[in-house]
Amino acid sequence: MARRRSSPLSLAAAGAAWLGYAFLALPSLIIIPMSFSNSDELSFPPHSISLYLYDKYFFESNWMAATLESLEVATGTAILSLLLGVGAAYGLSRAEFPAKRLITMFLLSPAFVPAIVLALGLYLYLGVAHLSGTTTGLIISHTLVAVPFVIVTAMAGLRHVDRHLEIAANVMGAGRLLVLRRITLPLLRPTILAAALFAFLISFDEVVISYFIAGVRTQTLPVKMYSAIHWEISPVLAAVSTLLTLLSLGICFVVALVRKDR
Amino acid sequence: MADHLRRRGAAGWGWRGSLAVFVIPAALYMGAAFLLPLLMVAYTSVGGSSFTSAHYAELVSRPLYVTVLWNTLQISAFSTLATVLVAYPIAYHLARQPPRRRALLLILVLLPFWTSILVKSFAFTVLLGQDGAINMILTAVFGEGARVKLLFNRPAVLIGMTHYLVPFAVFSILASLLAQNPELRRAAEIMGAGRWRIFFTLTLPLSLPGVLAGALLSMILSMGMFVTPALLGGRGDLMVSNLVDFHVRETLDWNAASALAICLIVVTGLFAALLSRVRPGQLLGREI
Repeated sequence: MARRRSSPLSLAAAGAAWLGYAFLALPSLIIIPMSFSNSDELSFPPHSISLYLYDKYFFESNWMAATLESLEVATGTAILSLLLGVGAAYGLSRAEFPAKRLITMFLLSPAFVPAIVLALGLYLYLGVAHLSGTTTGLIISHTLVAVPFVIVTAMAGLRHVDRHLEIAANVMGAGRLLVLRRITLPLLRPTILAAALFAFLISFDEVVISYFIAGVRTQTLPVKMYSAIHWEISPVLAAVSTLLTLLSLGICFVVALVRKDR
Repeated sequence: MADHLRRRGAAGWGWRGSLAVFVIPAALYMGAAFLLPLLMVAYTSVGGSSFTSAHYAELVSRPLYVTVLWNTLQISAFSTLATVLVAYPIAYHLARQPPRRRALLLILVLLPFWTSILVKSFAFTVLLGQDGAINMILTAVFGEGARVKLLFNRPAVLIGMTHYLVPFAVFSILASLLAQNPELRRAAEIMGAGRWRIFFTLTLPLSLPGVLAGALLSMILSMGMFVTPALLGGRGDLMVSNLVDFHVRETLDWNAASALAICLIVVTGLFAALLSRVRPGQLLGREI
């Protein structure tokens, strides 16, 4: 086995793969050390270690306002897209009805329409509806992007819920809502948690649509970051980026744990 | 089909059919918040009630538009090619690992996948800039003369986009590698085929649908890219998305912006239709 592993092909393949992993890890590797710099000039590697940039992020300027706005929008999006998405996934995986394939495709289609097209459409539409620049407008828009992912995640989870349990409960006289409440939803809990985290993160990171429809007072964190990279490349970005990377990492781990339980 | 009939039989159509009400809220929501905005873009693209094709005619007659559309196709094609070349070895390596190790290594692909595109763009501006890490290494080793311009140009956009696309392609290729029957490989080994021969006559051809699906997905995603070309690209090297933004923000020409958007959605829609033929389940790259 050991001799076989070191064949030239495997070695070359492993080498290429590790180069690929390194390329993927590059941004995180460069940003984390930089975030501990103590000056307003970007430098890599930093000359000395401090929490100066984190201090600026948390206590100075309007970074915190943008973060709070993003938290609000992401929480609203997670709740709304769970209500719509888990419901739809339940109907799609348990019911038979005409044009089911077409409706499934329709519900998933926002995921592969370019963000810029959605952004333009929502910009025009929310303008007419007097919702542009509002937190409500942002939640409506982000939900439409998050729902397809909630549906796919929940449908995958529903495949693992034993249908015989549902049928048995039904045969023994439980109505369809009781079956849903007492059998299906409790078994689906880990999936729902994972879907909620996905929806939250999708909203928290969404930039293109928000850039088009956010107002001065409803600037989200990604919109603030976008203008900060575009106009000044502020070093605070390194601290923000590190925190965002940690958030993604945390969510990855939680989702991995949830998946394992299944 | 048999499974479908059996399910109907198990609980009766009435019980199953009535569960369809759970789909209604989401369908109504998508109708109001997704379909209507798209229809508004279509309506605006023909000049509203004046109903003209003038804005579409401009797409092929104005040199700026032709250049931008051509740029978009070129950048997307090159980044897709680079993506497949980077993603294949990763997927191949992952497929050869025992499950536990694979799950661990998969984090290295999942983390960038879930990392904000802004974090990545920021990292690349730092890495590739005039005083960035790469130029620091180059000047330290080869002196001042070795400084290269890596940011705000085409290569920077390609690097940034490839970085964004690789995870999607890895998932797609990995799925097709893992779906291969290991018995085939064993059979080839027993019959004396070498590693290279097994790879080129068995593993690679069998994984091509996954490669194709990953490439199509990369094309779809890259043609609509906005952030990477805006932040890493040069001022003159726009993609369609950036031109839409330019029209909305600078020239307030919503008709032109809408015509461009419709053009973009038609082209990506064609690729999505192809993708759904190659691999129906692959449209949402986020699920493995």
